[in-house]
Amino acid sequence: MRRIVRFLASPRLAAALLLFIGAWVTIATFVPQSITSPGEIAAWDAANPALATVVNAVGLHDAFTAPAFIVPSLLLALCTAVCAWQRTGVARRRARVLREVSAAGLANDFALAELSIPVASDVENDEAYRRVVATLRELGIPGSRVGDRVVSVSPWWTVWGTAIFHWALVALIVLMALGSLARASGQMGVAVGQTRPDQPESYGELTAGPLYRWASNDRSIRVDDFHLDYMAGGISRGPTPTVAVLDGDGEVLESRIVYPNHILRHGSLSIYPVDYGLSAEIAMLDDQGAEIQRTVQLLDFDGTSPDGTAPVSEIGLYGSNGQVLNRLIVSVPLDSVPEGFLGRIPKDPSAHVVVADLTGAVLLDEVLRPGEEAALPLGGSLRLLGVDYYARLQIVDDPTITLLYIAGAIALVGLGIATLARQMIFTAGILTESEARIMAVRMRLWRIHTTSKSEIESELRRALGATEGSA
Amino acid sequence: MTWVTLFLYAGATALSAIGVVFGKDRLLGRSVLVAAVGLAAQVASLGFRWVRVGHGPYLGFYEVSAALVLFVVATFVYAAWRQPRLASAGIGVMPVALLLLGGAMLAQGTEVPMTGKLTSFWLAIHVIFANLAFGAFVISFGLAIAYIVRERSSSGAWAKRFEKLPAQDALENLTVRYVLVGFFFWGIMIITGAIWANEAWGRYWGWDPVETWSLIVWIIYAVYLHLHYTLRWHGQRLAWVAILAMPLSLFTLVGIPAVFDTTHAGIGGLGKDL
Ligand code: HEM
Repeated sequence: MRRIVRFLASPRLAAALLLFIGAWVTIATFVPQSITSPGEIAAWDAANPALATVVNAVGLHDAFTAPAFIVPSLLLALCTAVCAWQRTGVARRRARVLREVSAAGLANDFALAELSIPVASDVENDEAYRRVVATLRELGIPGSRVGDRVVSVSPWWTVWGTAIFHWALVALIVLMALGSLARASGQMGVAVGQTRPDQPESYGELTAGPLYRWASNDRSIRVDDFHLDYMAGGISRGPTPTVAVLDGDGEVLESRIVYPNHILRHGSLSIYPVDYGLSAEIAMLDDQGAEIQRTVQLLDFDGTSPDGTAPVSEIGLYGSNGQVLNRLIVSVPLDSVPEGFLGRIPKDPSAHVVVADLTGAVLLDEVLRPGEEAALPLGGSLRLLGVDYYARLQIVDDPTITLLYIAGAIALVGLGIATLARQMIFTAGILTESEARIMAVRMRLWRIHTTSKSEIESELRRALGATEGSA
Repeated sequence: MTWVTLFLYAGATALSAIGVVFGKDRLLGRSVLVAAVGLAAQVASLGFRWVRVGHGPYLGFYEVSAALVLFVVATFVYAAWRQPRLASAGIGVMPVALLLLGGAMLAQGTEVPMTGKLTSFWLAIHVIFANLAFGAFVISFGLAIAYIVRERSSSGAWAKRFEKLPAQDALENLTVRYVLVGFFFWGIMIITGAIWANEAWGRYWGWDPVETWSLIVWIIYAVYLHLHYTLRWHGQRLAWVAILAMPLSLFTLVGIPAVFDTTHAGIGGLGKDL
């Protein structure tokens, strides 16, 4: 056990791990990553066949989830925890010394004096103290005269920065790892007026960690309104939906217009808009004209399709034996083919309805206006109820984010203390030893960056000497 | 106005070079003064631009670089005002400011409009700390250069020219100090950036090249700090780490869009807009 701890606390190991992780991450930025540019991987592999073998073998296309990254990171977390433990011990010892110095009322500091600097005979005591204070100040250290001493003693908390910082780093790494196991994040398309349960089947794209519990998610997401170009604070916010989160009884828990930097939050859930498209609401009718079912067909803008929109997914039409026999393909013909975000509902909206069999032969091809119906080849008919927008929402449920923010804030406070607060003891007083006077200095510099022990000593010698005189 | 700034920074660079090479302390003091006047001119120039384009200097290559230069010079003037003995480090600092401003002026005409994605209170904090961190890194770079020049001067001639600077061990401590301060500010930049990314994009970390590189720079400076604090590195080899790390931070701040595709194009925007 001892040996393991000693191994983990080794400064060399920490530096090596940091270097390795730094190097790995650097190389990863030059290789296409499956999370940021999945489309480029195949082309890159083809262009660099020799490198591709190595890259695929070590998992560099998935650099940030590969074992070669995760294992050293977790090991670093472990090392950092061991070091944080050690820094805690160091901080406690230093804090005790600081307390003792204040408690002792500086009584015993002559006995502990590390430096004895002669004071020139033509320099009065008051003048000597003044010069010590001035010299310290010139070196960036605030010191002050207290009775017959010059003192600069840091408060107790200044020694805790490093320990706090390293503990917070451990917490950050652990929380990030935990977050990837406990988080669900995905995209869900919701048409205006539609409500979808917050369950995996509602999502298009979804990643959920093994610890995420869907069963406890008794809520649904509704889009109540949509602005193609919402203005707030004089700035265009782009396509902007109004989103509501409902509980199991359909009560609104939270509702908000969402756009970048203005997201909906409910507990650990956050909702952002990613994209938008159109939706066509369709009712299926039986031979008597009674409604059997309603579906909302989501449509994305698609410059390659003749109508300018294409369904996110096709709808299967079932025969009486329960098997899919036909495919229903719905699109909305646009007034003009959209470019980027300009796609909008046509002035006179309609839906283009195509039914094809499984071989691709077209059985029906009609354009319907809201309220119009078309008879389906397998019997029954469908009716277009309306055309509207749909919002593609990014929905993230991550219980670790608040904790991450807290750990981040603590890390910064710790680092701020380690960076900005001095950790030192300096006391100086004049002793008279058979005629000669000396300035007895006790000095502990645990962390001091604007000067050094030897510089303080040489500057004090200069200041208190007679020849060069003034400080 | 930017030309006036450039001219003054060039003057400060020349004065500090002459001051150091010919061992003229008075010129060093003047160089800080000229840099301070240049700083005032640059504040005015960026202020006018702020009013004209309607947002602070943080969009597009020119604004980002100019703001970095502003913070570098401000940090230097502040350091030299607090401790006049640091004035000769200007020989390492002012050329960086001068070259970066000169480079930025090639892209002065580009104006990137403010967008909804950018409109956030986090933007200001994020950007200010990026600038502050870079200012501190450049000072550590300048101090490390002075350290190495002095250390390598076998005849002691250069040592004499840097006479005013603190002794080598104190100079090294100061370098570490500035790295530490830069590391702290860079950490604030990363964390506020993560919070902002979460607000704007729905993810706090996405391994975008800018995010990744900012982490790389942070790790490199963490390695530097450990080399010093735990492995007790001293002297020239430690100074070299500070010298080599600074250009990487500059690359992260303005160079990324030139090399990688990034959703952060706003920050560097070399030839790109949002
Ligand atoms: C996640 C990785 C780590 C990072 C980013 C990091 C960062 C830092 C930074 C910025 C400092 C200087 C500021 C301060 O004193 O707090 C520092 C100091 C230090 N670190 Fe780390 N550290 C990490 C892991 C470790 C590990 C694994 C060890 C153990 C070997 C360690 C041991 C120390 C020690 C002994 C100091 C000097 C403290 C002092 O002088 O008071 N750190 N670290």
